[in-house]
Amino acid sequence: MNALALQLWNELYKLFARKRTYIGFGAVVVVECVILWVMSRPQSVAQFRQLVAQHGLSFKRYYSGLTLGLEMVMWTGLILGALFLALVSGDVMSKEVEDGTLRMLLCRPVSRTRIVALKYTTCVIYTFALIFFLGATALGAGMLYCGTGGLLVSSPTEELFAVHEARAGLARYCVGMSFLALSLTSISSLGFMFSCLKIKPAAATISTLSIVFVDSTFRRVPFFGSLLPLFLSTHLAAWQQLFAVTIPWTRCCQDYSYLLSVDAVCFLFALLVFRRRDFKA
Amino acid sequence: MIRLEHLSKTLGRRRALDDVTLEIPAGEIFGLLGHNGAGKSTLLGLLLGQLHPTRGEAFIRGISVQRQRLRALQRVGAIFETPAFFDYLSGWNNLRNLLSYSGPVSRGEIEDVVRFVGLENRIHEPVRVYSHGMKQRLALAQALLPRPDVVLLDEPAQGLDPEGIQEMRRLIQQLNREHGMTVLLSSHLLPEVEQLCSRVAILNQGRLVFQGHWSELAQARKQFRLRLNDWEKARVAMEKCRVILVGQEIVELRAETDIADLIAELVRSGVRIHAVEPLREDLEELYLRKVSAR
Repeated sequence: MNALALQLWNELYKLFARKRTYIGFGAVVVVECVILWVMSRPQSVAQFRQLVAQHGLSFKRYYSGLTLGLEMVMWTGLILGALFLALVSGDVMSKEVEDGTLRMLLCRPVSRTRIVALKYTTCVIYTFALIFFLGATALGAGMLYCGTGGLLVSSPTEELFAVHEARAGLARYCVGMSFLALSLTSISSLGFMFSCLKIKPAAATISTLSIVFVDSTFRRVPFFGSLLPLFLSTHLAAWQQLFAVTIPWTRCCQDYSYLLSVDAVCFLFALLVFRRRDFKA
Repeated sequence: MIRLEHLSKTLGRRRALDDVTLEIPAGEIFGLLGHNGAGKSTLLGLLLGQLHPTRGEAFIRGISVQRQRLRALQRVGAIFETPAFFDYLSGWNNLRNLLSYSGPVSRGEIEDVVRFVGLENRIHEPVRVYSHGMKQRLALAQALLPRPDVVLLDEPAQGLDPEGIQEMRRLIQQLNREHGMTVLLSSHLLPEVEQLCSRVAILNQGRLVFQGHWSELAQARKQFRLRLNDWEKARVAMEKCRVILVGQEIVELRAETDIADLIAELVRSGVRIHAVEPLREDLEELYLRKVSAR
């Protein structure tokens, strides 16, 4: 294993050997169980039946594991994702600074740029791991509850309604999870940037969550309607467009260009700050 | 081996280090003394590139830490006053983790160092169950891997019991004697530094107030206890030699006066001398005198 791969492996080992890293995974399972329970209540089933009937579709065909799985992801993705990604990415650098372990590392002949790059990569990998776990468990739970079938997607906020057959739906679901993870990487990037500042880990997490929640709240205020393209949460929801019957690629490209720019700015700012910082007990 | 050139560091409004120039030759155990906040840790931080100097430059093996940090730290080990590890990982995994940033180190080499610091029976236990002394040993182990030429030790005996202090001292001496390592030992424990270091530097409020051998520091004041039969006659002889009586039977000579001159004068004056005992200032006195002189 070359040095860079070994260092990345060790960073991941450090992250995943810590119990608190798994709080997010545990919370995902708990929330999914609750959502599944809510969705299996007669009122929820009746609502779904009504929605399907309105579009002249078969209830049996689309009340499936895929549909329930995607519903669970849509409910939990942004809120739980934001919370636990902010928690982990906000901790990743600032906790090490606070504990003094970073000073031990900085005694080694390793560049600060490499440390920032490794830790940022760790955050990105954690983001993908959490979202893939969310997607897999949601799909698994949905399948266990009502088996296979087509995929029905309904998201009024994104003005989206689409249906897909089982195979195509599953493919869309898998691609959708990858793009959800890519979207939520921006929250990890924000958390990571704050983590590199001279602030406590809790402050980094709270700052990240504040931005995400203030942004999501203001986006819903009609007064800011003309500013929608500037809100982060507008672009964070871009992954849902991958479920449209005809994928609006131009919009997707614009959204992901925005999100990747946010990632790049956060990373570069974190790098700049970290390289200039003094580390003292 | 280590050279500091006009090194200054301002932290906020405070001058943590003020124009320090220092040279430490290879193969030496060099002591860095100073009270809390004197600038010792700042100096070590600058040497490790963890702090950016306001002015000046630090060199290790002739390589600038500020310009070529990676090359300069290639064979440098360091431990801090309060060593920090991932307490949920074992000592072994902590070592492996840190070593991944220093290039390849064989398992055998790690085992040798673990044995050297006496942690071979506990190295696979999580660090959270380690005592402070064990953490210090683990810190020493990581500083010795891969084998360094220079070891920077910031208060290595801090928080250790007397046995631990003695053990740490033995390890440091062994490293220097058997492996020829250059050791920069920062401490506020004067006896500790005296037992290990032949040369010291004293920092006070960020300024270097002394650098040299202990003996130079001690020679700065020449005091002797005299046992004489006639102090009245002796006083006259002392005045001639411009010697001051500073206490009961204790005299202090000026730098230019030799004790032989005083003895000769006392003999000429008919004073019988029963004993002449050179008095050595204790370390605390030496240190405080140097610090208060500035």
